[in-house]
Amino acid sequence: MKDRKPLYLMTPALAWLTAFMVIPCLLILALAFFRRGLYGGIEYTFTLENLALVFDPLYAGIFLKSAAIAGLSALIAVIIGYAAAFAIAAAPSRRQPILLFFAVLPFWSNYLVRTYAWIVLLNREGLITGLARWLGYDAEMPRLLYTEGAVVVGLVYNYLPFVILACYAPLSRLNPEIAEASRDLGASSWTTFRRVVLPMTVPGIATGFVFVFVLSIGNFVTPALLGGGQFQMIGNLIYAQFLTANDWPFGAALSMVLIAIMMGLLTLQTFATERASGAKREES
Amino acid sequence: MTQPLLSLRNVQKHFGTVRAVDGLNLDIQENEFFALLGASGSGKTTLLRMLAGFEVPTGGEILLDGKDVSNVPPNRRPVNLMFQSYALFPHMTIAQNVAYGLEMEKCPKAEIKTRVGEMLEIIQLSHLAGRKPDQLSGGQRQRVALGRALIKRPRLLLLDEPLGALDKKLRGDMQLELKRLQHEFGITFIIVTHDQEEALVMADRVAILKDGTLLQCASPHDIYERPNSRYAADFIGVMNFMPAKVSNGRLLGAHGKPVTAQIPEGLHEGADVVVAIRPERLKVSAPQGDAAGSLPRGRVLATAYHGLDLQLHLETELCADPITVRLTAQEADQIALSQGDQLELGWDAKDTRVFAA
Repeated sequence: MKDRKPLYLMTPALAWLTAFMVIPCLLILALAFFRRGLYGGIEYTFTLENLALVFDPLYAGIFLKSAAIAGLSALIAVIIGYAAAFAIAAAPSRRQPILLFFAVLPFWSNYLVRTYAWIVLLNREGLITGLARWLGYDAEMPRLLYTEGAVVVGLVYNYLPFVILACYAPLSRLNPEIAEASRDLGASSWTTFRRVVLPMTVPGIATGFVFVFVLSIGNFVTPALLGGGQFQMIGNLIYAQFLTANDWPFGAALSMVLIAIMMGLLTLQTFATERASGAKREES
Repeated sequence: MTQPLLSLRNVQKHFGTVRAVDGLNLDIQENEFFALLGASGSGKTTLLRMLAGFEVPTGGEILLDGKDVSNVPPNRRPVNLMFQSYALFPHMTIAQNVAYGLEMEKCPKAEIKTRVGEMLEIIQLSHLAGRKPDQLSGGQRQRVALGRALIKRPRLLLLDEPLGALDKKLRGDMQLELKRLQHEFGITFIIVTHDQEEALVMADRVAILKDGTLLQCASPHDIYERPNSRYAADFIGVMNFMPAKVSNGRLLGAHGKPVTAQIPEGLHEGADVVVAIRPERLKVSAPQGDAAGSLPRGRVLATAYHGLDLQLHLETELCADPITVRLTAQEADQIALSQGDQLELGWDAKDTRVFAA
């Protein structure tokens, strides 16, 4: 605590976050405990009704559904992303930056544009159907757009670069001699991966998974565009409460529960990463 | 005749146009402590990686117990490597690290437990069995790496610069420890090092590698006393080199006078050679008589006191570089020395080596 410089340097960031993040969140938190007034107003009397309503089977079901879709997206993204990160980390080191650049490239284009591109691909007479026809598939194509599958595909696609970056970091730092030592001691390549490489890169996997999960569960653009509006995730529900149903207190309650879930997961993930690198810190 | 444990027959490894290992022939006997000595880029690490199975030779054969293992993957060879970085598994405890190799052999649980316990006892780390590698000192990590490899009871244990990361005092202790373990286990050790002292102290035989070829392979004594090339003579220990020319069956030094040396056969008249002699084989004495005496003279440029011995650097007419002389503490006591003193230099012909220049 002798050197106070770090504190000064953090002040602008802290002020910014307090003004535009902490205070609005607290306002939302407060809103959740008030009654909805007539014509979309707010009646300032304390109630737990909004929170109770969140756990109503109808809405709890949407929470579960969202969690399932986010979980599935995160799982698929982690599998694809880890494999890609593994391949990049195994490439010659001078080629790795360019491969990473390409992996992250889609990220620099607009989220909406990328999501619309999937509509073009998945449409009834879109590119994928066209390709199937060209290959000689004449039967009725299954519906591709406006399905849960389309939403999962969109979410995985959008958040894949995160996972690749998160997994690449620990994989590229891995001393190749450690995997060689495992081979030398009699392990096959697969056993080496399972017992040495994978456990050593769990922090990256956890980070990637939680990232995709947290970003997916609250997402409302992708379900709206690729799920076709029929299909609701928790993000769409919150969106609707604030902008169409004009039930701000209920929207606030839903938001609070969602934020609580995200915070819980991020804490778990931080804890897991700490544990993995904990030994190192004890020494120094 | 007993079959050697390991036989290298014209082993080659090329990386593109680089010949890292270029036609090596070498036999290593069971139970030998063998050292591969060379500067960086000499091919010693590439050779070690071929023996472990991480590199496949471009040509030639590697015979282990008479069978060619050139294409056998590392996990199927009765050979273990102790990595220079130790390469311990950071997410496993010391006991789990040591047990890993036996688990891969599908050893029964009870046997693994006993053998790991014994090994931890041998490497004196039983009290740290539950620690992670990050919580150990460098010397302790090195012992874990050794125990993890030794527990497999390999036919051949390869050690890549095993003591490189340790401080000097610890290195001395570990040199003796490695020798003791090698005797105790009766396993053939091949150690790769660039540290000539390490090689001389530990090994039964030393091979000097240069540019992927074998320069000399002999006992530490012979390597030190009878180097077969100027490179080997220069690489091991300190050596004085004096230029000379063959003239009428004698060698004439730079000062135009005969140089005492053992002249090898087959040197033609007028050939340029270098006479090599170790600092500890040189004798110095206070000059007697006039300056025209038969012994070459030198002026003391500097003295360096090492405790056990005293090193003198003499400027002489024999060569451009100063000549190094090593005196024992007793010898040094007998002659009072100070910078600038004139001394007479003498040596026996049998202590010299003569190489083509």
